[in-house]
Amino acid sequence: MTINPLRSLANRSNALKSTGPKSVAGKRASSQNSRKHGLNSAPTFELSNEYQELIDLIAEEGFSAFACADIAAGLLNYRRVMDAYYDTYTSPESVDEFLRDMNVKASNPIFSELLSPSGSEPQDVREMAAFFADMQRQERRKGGSVSRRSSDTHKLIRYQRHGIARLSRAVRQG
Amino acid sequence: MPVDHKVCSLLPFLSSPKLLPNESEAEFQSGLQSLLSELENPSPLAVALVSQLNECLWWIRRHTVDKELLLHEAMARLLSREGSNWKGSGNSALSVALEHYLNGSAQKDQAALIEEALIDANLTLPDLRARAFKDAARHIKMVDDLIHRQHQTIRHLQRSIDSIDYKSRLIKRMDLELAALESKQSVKGVLSLDDKSS
Repeated sequence: MTINPLRSLANRSNALKSTGPKSVAGKRASSQNSRKHGLNSAPTFELSNEYQELIDLIAEEGFSAFACADIAAGLLNYRRVMDAYYDTYTSPESVDEFLRDMNVKASNPIFSELLSPSGSEPQDVREMAAFFADMQRQERRKGGSVSRRSSDTHKLIRYQRHGIARLSRAVRQG
Repeated sequence: MPVDHKVCSLLPFLSSPKLLPNESEAEFQSGLQSLLSELENPSPLAVALVSQLNECLWWIRRHTVDKELLLHEAMARLLSREGSNWKGSGNSALSVALEHYLNGSAQKDQAALIEEALIDANLTLPDLRARAFKDAARHIKMVDDLIHRQHQTIRHLQRSIDSIDYKSRLIKRMDLELAALESKQSVKGVLSLDDKSS
């Protein structure tokens, strides 16, 4: 589907007028907008059957019951982190090519056309152009898809560090 | 030594590492098998840890490729920024052409596009690469951090595998010592019975 640049700009300028969700369902949905990987939420695998089965299997290797529970939790937690790592790596924020490549200065006539119903003034057009220029700078700073996936994955380093330290400690102390 | 089914019993409980569409499952599995063959006493837990270790090695490979891709991305960005006439062809078209050009698989028109862009930007390919390296330094550093993290994870896993191995050796040694003590005891018992009877 091709996106009409004028339509895209109109959508963006209309979105600027939005003051957020009104309904309870909308607020609930938008409260999850910034949820990235779910690694900050408490893990729920400790209630699962597979956790218990994993404990039983590890117990066959001669570890104490306490160590088995620790190792099983460590293993499942580490896998949870690595799954999130893979998901983040494979689905980076998409590049907005239109915004990145648009010529903001040359778009001033389009801005004034979009703003005309509300009686556009040169000040409004300048503000809109400045807004888009700022967005474009941010978009360009993020780089291409490889840069994005690298910086997104980089944010998960600390979870990986904690995950492997927990697993390693559980195995060595077991 | 092929690893039997029993020692892989933990693996179904851990989500298996996922591969990207262009990656070879056979290569991944052969790496895993070669690591497993180095285990002296493969136990289910050791096999589970080795499988995680193999995944780390795979991630290092991916991130190493990414470092080169980051450079290519920065080179394309620089070319499209420097060349005044290249905005029309779009950044993506230039990226694709440059990727093929650097791989040596560029078609005639793609090669011509890149060569013209280089002339237009008054740059040679090594110059462009050097400037791109500077431009992409921040992201390259991030990928280096990711690779470093995988190395540290491997070290943790290696230590855990060693501790399991040590533990199993210790248990085996204690079993042997116990068996030796028991046999000594039984020999002593037989001797004392002989003394009494004589």
